[in-house]
Amino acid sequence: MPERFTLSSLAIRNLRRRPLRTTILVAALTLMVASLVFALSFVMRVNASIQLTAERLGADLLIVPTGARGAAEDILVESHVRSFYMDKAILERIRKVAGIDKLSPQTYLVSLIGMCCSVPESMVVAFNQETDFIVKPWLKKKLGRNLQKGEAIVGEESAFNISLGLIEMETKLFGNAFKMVGVLDKTGSGLDTAIFISDENIEDIIKNSEAKIKADQISVIFAKLEKGANAYKVMSEIENNIVEVDVVMRKDIGKSLLATLGDIRKIFYFTMILSTILSLFLVWAIFTAIANERTREVGIMRALGAKEGQVVKLFLFEVLVLGAIGSIMGIIAGTSLSVLLAKNFSILKNLPIDIGLLSRMLIAAAGLLFGTGICVLGALSPLQRLKKLEPLIAISR
Amino acid sequence: MSQIKLQNITKTYKVGLDSLVAVQDVSLDIQKGDFISIVGHSGSGKTTLLSLIGGITTPTSGRISFEDMDLAAMGSNGLSEYRCQKIGFMFQFASLLPMLTVKENLLLPTIFVPEPERTGAAKLNDKAAELLRSVGLLDKINAFPGQLSGGQQRRVAIARSFMNNPALILADEPTGDLDEETEQEMINFFKSMNQTKGITFVMVTHNTELASHTPRRLRMHQGSLQLL
Repeated sequence: MPERFTLSSLAIRNLRRRPLRTTILVAALTLMVASLVFALSFVMRVNASIQLTAERLGADLLIVPTGARGAAEDILVESHVRSFYMDKAILERIRKVAGIDKLSPQTYLVSLIGMCCSVPESMVVAFNQETDFIVKPWLKKKLGRNLQKGEAIVGEESAFNISLGLIEMETKLFGNAFKMVGVLDKTGSGLDTAIFISDENIEDIIKNSEAKIKADQISVIFAKLEKGANAYKVMSEIENNIVEVDVVMRKDIGKSLLATLGDIRKIFYFTMILSTILSLFLVWAIFTAIANERTREVGIMRALGAKEGQVVKLFLFEVLVLGAIGSIMGIIAGTSLSVLLAKNFSILKNLPIDIGLLSRMLIAAAGLLFGTGICVLGALSPLQRLKKLEPLIAISR
Repeated sequence: MSQIKLQNITKTYKVGLDSLVAVQDVSLDIQKGDFISIVGHSGSGKTTLLSLIGGITTPTSGRISFEDMDLAAMGSNGLSEYRCQKIGFMFQFASLLPMLTVKENLLLPTIFVPEPERTGAAKLNDKAAELLRSVGLLDKINAFPGQLSGGQQRRVAIARSFMNNPALILADEPTGDLDEETEQEMINFFKSMNQTKGITFVMVTHNTELASHTPRRLRMHQGSLQLL
């Protein structure tokens, strides 16, 4: 059956007329959409990581030594390796604050291969099994029992880094032999890269290694509040009465990272705005040139019976094809960049989770909508002018 | 009933602060099946008059009707449908689209026909081939306009004007680029379409010899129409 000659066949022919001009326009759109997709992927990944970490910690307040707030967030949100300490006696002073329900301390140690330990640099988290409500739910799910003295369990990503995956393997941590008894499921927080031990081991660690920690020191305290307690009020109460600590509310975890990233985000947004304006101008200029170039053709088509709407359809088809090609290429480029650069950007590399497929699809949809939208917007004014021309005037130009 | 009726048509163009009267108080009755030629010098208003009849421009005053339908009342879409389904234009300049083949240029007016009235692709292809055979260019069916001479392009444009089975052909210097022999062939083709299909022809030309082939001849002079 012979193919019918239609408006879209005509539009395709038009697009092939000036391949260089078409390529320039598509390339500009690709760059614009790629920068949008990359920036959105970056921002969404940071936000999702922080939100998930805060949700999964299961604590209402995070209490750290004064000045260690950023370091604590580095560990929890960005999987960095840090250590800081405060006096364990502070635990009892905090317990007296009205509104506190449960408290659980953790002690952070840093393993160094060759120095103290047989594993690569990792966070070693010593937790109190009696009071813990952070690690225990994951431990219960995986091991079904408490950790014994001399036993360790590793976070999901730490297992990967250590090339562990081998249960029952013996390793040296701070001069003590530990049996690796399992790998925790992925929590989506920075603790996924840590190695967990019971705090009963601290005494032996101090005795058998040069770890900087002293007896009766802890790193952080996780607090759960009583039902109905005002987190802000409890935080103020602690900070006002105990000067040795800083308190972070669950909703504020990651705030310092967000503040650090603020400028980067501003640069992203600024670049996006600039590339959008540039693309808009380029689309407008190119379609103004196209409209001028084809004024007589449009006049001829109108004389042959084309309606205003059909002229619009013809140009819109061209605009949408260009917009769609540029956007799809931009989505592929932006997504690839975000995946590739995630391995090189230290901020992204350390974030515990990547954005999911749904988020990626949403970003792609936004990119497609944005790219084609810019194209349509840029072409609108020359198109409007062209379709309104009286056919005789158009022909005589 | 007249097929086309022009009543006291005047068309004025603004040129800077001045007004230029291209057509002045023209009245004309054209019957179905008429073959009319309008002669006149350049700038006498012939092309403007054809454009007014074809609805590609509007009169400053007066009324134009096609089969009793006032063109002014048709609106933009109505006028497009009128041009698409009732009129066949032959322009005095090269009017083929350069990126389309000869066949596609012939099919161009058919894509503007409203969907329910569109003919199937096979029939349209056959018709394009038949019209190209009539103007002696069937062998150029897949050529691009750039590969044709001016005269050949003109003949393709002539063939194109018949694609949508028009009731009225408006021909503006249709044989301008043609040699004498081809000009005669085209005039014979027009006459045959006029006699066998009853298509009305209004042809403007400055060539009085060409006009002598038509049964009804008019002269355009400084925007006014007179009997020749």
